[in-house]
Amino acid sequence: MPLPLDLKGATLDFILLGQQLANGIANGMGYVLIAVGLTLVFGVLRIVNFAHGAFYMLGGYFTYFAVQSFGVHYLLAVAIAAFLAGMCGLIANQFFFRPLRKEHEFIILLSSLGLSILLTNGSELLFGADPKYIESGFADATLDIGPVTVTQQRLLIFVLATMALAFVYWFIRRTRYGKMMQATAQHPEGAALTGINTNFVHAYTFVLACALAGLSGALVGPTAMMFPTVGDWAVLKGFTVVVIGGLGSISGACIGGLLLGIAEALGGGYISQGFAEAIGYVLIVVVLIWRPQGMFGISRGHKS
Amino acid sequence: MKSSNFTAATIRTSVLAIGLALGFSNGVHAQAKPPIKIAAIVPLSGAGAFDGQLGLEGMQAMAEIINAKGGILGGRKIELITYDDKGLPEEGVSATKRAIEQDKVDAVVGGWFSAVALVMKEATRDTMLNFMTSAQHPDVTNKGHKYMFRVNATSTMMSDKYSKFICEKIKPKSVAFITVNDDYGRLEVENYTRLLSACGIAVKGNEFYNRNDTDFTTVLTKLRSLQPDAIYVSAINTAQGATIYRQIKQTGFKGTTIASAGNMNPKLIELSGSSLENVYSVSLFAPDLKNPTADQWQAQYQKMFKNQPAFIGSLGAQSVELIAAAMDKAGDAHDYNKVSTVLKGQKWKTLLGEMSFDDKGQALQNLYLIQVRKGKIVKVD
Repeated sequence: MPLPLDLKGATLDFILLGQQLANGIANGMGYVLIAVGLTLVFGVLRIVNFAHGAFYMLGGYFTYFAVQSFGVHYLLAVAIAAFLAGMCGLIANQFFFRPLRKEHEFIILLSSLGLSILLTNGSELLFGADPKYIESGFADATLDIGPVTVTQQRLLIFVLATMALAFVYWFIRRTRYGKMMQATAQHPEGAALTGINTNFVHAYTFVLACALAGLSGALVGPTAMMFPTVGDWAVLKGFTVVVIGGLGSISGACIGGLLLGIAEALGGGYISQGFAEAIGYVLIVVVLIWRPQGMFGISRGHKS
Repeated sequence: MKSSNFTAATIRTSVLAIGLALGFSNGVHAQAKPPIKIAAIVPLSGAGAFDGQLGLEGMQAMAEIINAKGGILGGRKIELITYDDKGLPEEGVSATKRAIEQDKVDAVVGGWFSAVALVMKEATRDTMLNFMTSAQHPDVTNKGHKYMFRVNATSTMMSDKYSKFICEKIKPKSVAFITVNDDYGRLEVENYTRLLSACGIAVKGNEFYNRNDTDFTTVLTKLRSLQPDAIYVSAINTAQGATIYRQIKQTGFKGTTIASAGNMNPKLIELSGSSLENVYSVSLFAPDLKNPTADQWQAQYQKMFKNQPAFIGSLGAQSVELIAAAMDKAGDAHDYNKVSTVLKGQKWKTLLGEMSFDDKGQALQNLYLIQVRKGKIVKVD
C-alpha cells in the first residue's frame, strides 16, 4: 500500500537528517582531536600556540611519507606520525618556548606565530607545494549503518579519537605525571614550591599536545588533501572549538568540537555552505556573550 | 724616498689597472642587451599554490626556449620576475603595483583566478601590457582595457560548447551543481542553468562551497538527496577538486560526474584516484595535440620540472610566447599601442594551435572535448 505523500516526505527528511548528523559527528570528532592538544597547552603552559596547526600538517606529511616512501601500513604510519609530531614538539619546546618562559604572553604568542610560518614554509620547500593524497585504504570504503552512509575513515577517526581521549583522561586523572600537569595548570608557582619540576611538566605536556595534533593530521588527512598551508585551517578550527569550549578545558574541547561539527553540518545541510563557514564564529559570539570564559572555561586557578 | 715613491706609484698604477679592468668588464656587461622583464604574478601560497606553480613552470619553460634561440629584439633575453598573489585580489593588485613601479617590468602576466584578475586589471588600466591567463570570467576582457589580453576561453565560450556536448552526448535527465562561491562560480551556475534547461535537463539544485573548505560531505549529502542523474563540479583549484571528486564517490552517489571546463590536469587525476575515470571536461590543451611548439614545450618542461605539463602551464607559456613574438614584430618592448595592434592584427601559430585575438583582447582558441581514460587525458572527437 503506497505511503501518503507527506508521510513519505517526512521519512526521507529523517534519513537526510540522520546522514547530516552523522557527517557532523564525524567532522566534530576530528575537530575535538585538533582542539584537545591546543587547550592542554594553554591550560598547563599558558601558551596560545598558533603553531598547533603546523603539527597537524606535519602529522599528515609524516603519514604520507611513511606510507608512500616506506610502504608502511597506514595504521602503523599513523602511530609513527603521532610519535614524530610529538618529538617535533619536544624540539620546538626546547628551542622556542622554554627560553621564552619568563617573557610576556604576547611575545610567546608571536613566537608561536613565527614557528608556524617557519614550519609551513619549510614544509613547502621540503615537500613541495603540490597537494598530496594519503592512501589510507579506509578513505574510500563506505559502511552503511542503517540508512546512513559513512566512510570507514570517518568511523576510524571516531574510534581512534575516542581511544586517544580516553588515554588522555586516564593520563591526567590517574597517573602521577597527569596530576603534576593538573597542579601546574592550577597554580604554577605553587606546584613548583611542592617540588614539581615545571619545566619537565611543560615539556611532556607539549609533546602530548603535538602528538595529538599529529594524530589528528594523520587521521583527518586522508579525508581531503595534504598541503603545506592546511595547518592554517586546522589551527583556526582548533581555536574556534577552544574558545567555545573554554581555554584549558578538555571536556569543553570535546563538547565544543562535537557542537561545532554538528552545527556546521546542519547549517550547511539546511541553509547553505556559506552559512556553515560563518556558524563557528556565530557560536563563538553566542557563547562568549553567555559565558565569557567559554562553556567550561577556566578562570585563573581552576581546571575542570 | 725614491723607493717609497716607487711603491706608491706601483700601488696607484695597480689600483688604476684593476679599476679599469673592472670598469671595462662592467662596461662590456652594460653593453649586453637589457632583458625584457615580464612580471609573473601567480598564487604561490594558499589554496591555489599548486596551480600557480604549474602556471609559473609553464612560463619558465617557454622563456627558456625563447632565450635559447637568442631572445628577441636583437638579443634581449626574457627575464621572469615572480610575485605571489596568494590567490587574493588585494595581493594581486599590490604585486602588480610593485612590479610596475619598483621593478619597472615591461609586461605583466597573471590573473589565474577570475576574482584576482577582475581587480588586477584596474591596476594596469591603459598603462601596462597585461596578459591574463586562466581566469574565465568574461568581464576580464569585456570590461578590460586597450593593453589587456586574455588567453583562456571565457566561461561563456566554454559553456556554449560544453553544454551542447552535455545535452547531445551525455544526456542526463537531471543535474545538480556544486560550485565555488566566487564570481566565476556564480557565472557558471547562471550559464549552465540556462543552457541545460534549454535542452530539457532538469536543474535540481546548486550548492556553493567556500574557497578554503576542505570537507564537502555535508554539501554533497544534500545534493545526493535531490537524486540528480549527474553532478556538475565547478572546482578551480586542484586540491579542492580532487577532494570533491573523491567525496562524491564516498557519499555513495551512483550517477554521472561532470567536471567543469578548463580545470583538468594530470595532478588532479593522480589525486582523485579512480573517481575521475571516464569523466569528461573541456580544455584548450591536451597532451596529444601534435604541434611542434607544443612538443618542444612539453619536452623542455619535463627537462626542467618534476610535474607533468598541464593546461594551466600551457596558458602561461602561450602568454610568454605571444608577448615575445609581438614585441619582436613591433620592434619595441615599450610602445604598447604598437604591441597591442600587432597582437590583434594577425593569426598566431602557438603551442595551443592557431589562434587570434578579438578587438577586446579576448583570445579565440580551439576548445577540445577531453575525457580521462585509464588515468590519462585524451581528446574526444
